[in-house]
Amino acid sequence: MDLNRCEAYAQCAFQAPDVFAMHGEEALMYEPCPGDERREQVMRAAASCPVQAILVEWPGGPAVPEGAATGARG
Amino acid sequence: MTSATLLRRITDYAARADPYPLYAELRRTPVARQEDGVYAVSTYWEIAGLLHDPRLSSDPRNRVPTAGEEDILEEEQGLPPSFLRLDPPEHDRLRRLATRPFGPPDSPRRVSDMRGDLARMVSGLIDGLRDRERADIVEDFAYPFPVMVICKLLGVPHEDEERFHVWAEAIVAGLDPGEEGEGPAERRRAAQRARMELGRYLAGLIEDHRRAPGGDMLSALAAGHGDRERMSPLELVVTAVLLLIAGHETTVNLITNGMLTLLRHPDALRRLREEPGLAVPLVEELLRYEPPVQLLPQRTALADIDVGGVTIPRGAPVWLVLASGNRDPRRFPDPDRFDPGRTGNEHLGFGGGIHYCFGAPLARLEAQVALTELARRLVEPRLVTDPPPYRRNPVLRGPRHLPVAFDGCVP
Repeated sequence: MDLNRCEAYAQCAFQAPDVFAMHGEEALMYEPCPGDERREQVMRAAASCPVQAILVEWPGGPAVPEGAATGARG
Repeated sequence: MTSATLLRRITDYAARADPYPLYAELRRTPVARQEDGVYAVSTYWEIAGLLHDPRLSSDPRNRVPTAGEEDILEEEQGLPPSFLRLDPPEHDRLRRLATRPFGPPDSPRRVSDMRGDLARMVSGLIDGLRDRERADIVEDFAYPFPVMVICKLLGVPHEDEERFHVWAEAIVAGLDPGEEGEGPAERRRAAQRARMELGRYLAGLIEDHRRAPGGDMLSALAAGHGDRERMSPLELVVTAVLLLIAGHETTVNLITNGMLTLLRHPDALRRLREEPGLAVPLVEELLRYEPPVQLLPQRTALADIDVGGVTIPRGAPVWLVLASGNRDPRRFPDPDRFDPGRTGNEHLGFGGGIHYCFGAPLARLEAQVALTELARRLVEPRLVTDPPPYRRNPVLRGPRHLPVAFDGCVP
């Protein structure tokens, strides 16, 4: 999770409630190494993040840099 | 053609099927003052910045009325504004209260738990097309589906659809800033009347739910959460009106635009059929490429704002042209290409900042389920007319009908 990018839109907590949870309105808690059975949820969360702050990598698979914001300015 | 008349050309019905070349023209001046005093913002970074700028208000009461807008304040005497048209702190309080029965932190599973219901609704609607070779995707599918969903979520009887459909149409037409038809002022007055009527209907329903609560959102909102702060009865009615309208007048366009885009991109349609997981990034790309809410025409500068080399003066109306920012080549490589696997897709389809679409998680799920099943079950679907006939509204833009021919349905 790139918490510098995160703006607490909470979309991940809707998409993957077993992995991401909002504590109050602004603090995000998450499971950093969710099991394979959560994979689909995590992919949904990463795709729906409005600021693309979720970086997904699965062991044995290629890194999926969902958050590699092409064209993001520094 | 000068930029002064561009916005008028964009809201003109002639541009509805393909406004994108006009947006490209608009982007040559990222912040363009129009002859009526409206500032149109059309480039990605400038829109994204303003969506996060507390000096840009969503409350129309901050507006210095331009010619023909004198009735804006009068309009607000109908029902008070919903949180969509409020600023902090009132916006924050009402949105937080509305979120309690809808999403995290209090109800994180409300939307994901609806997946089974959504799949059943979609199956039922497609089953209804089994013996046919033609359908109107709007009337037969993309309209009825989100209505069923929002009725189920809120606890509104589906059989009342005919009643609230008329009010919903009038309220949505009131968002149309174009000059066509009876004109924007008359449309706003009709919208105000419809909002009152719908409010009266929902007030009765909320009272029923208070007496006999169900598992739906209106029941939860009416009950409040123990001793914690709660909405006043009037705030509750206004919020219910907002959720009912927003819940079905936008998703219909997302699904219809989606089917239209898939039929125009047969490779994407084929990929989705073979690889249902593609629906997730595909719907994000759809929100970038053909967003159901094309622009936000209701913001007002609270101070002089310097942006894109221009000073927007205090009190000026500002239009954020989300659909144009989504096609900004300085943000998205190859922006006019529909790429269902696009990564890093930070689109503006749901807006951004504090007014980020409340129903986004539900809209995503509806579109993913709907498009996956349409792609899987319709055999050889093809467009009957391209472009299809569009609704008049340039803000909530989408086809009025989407006639499609096909060779039956698989189970």
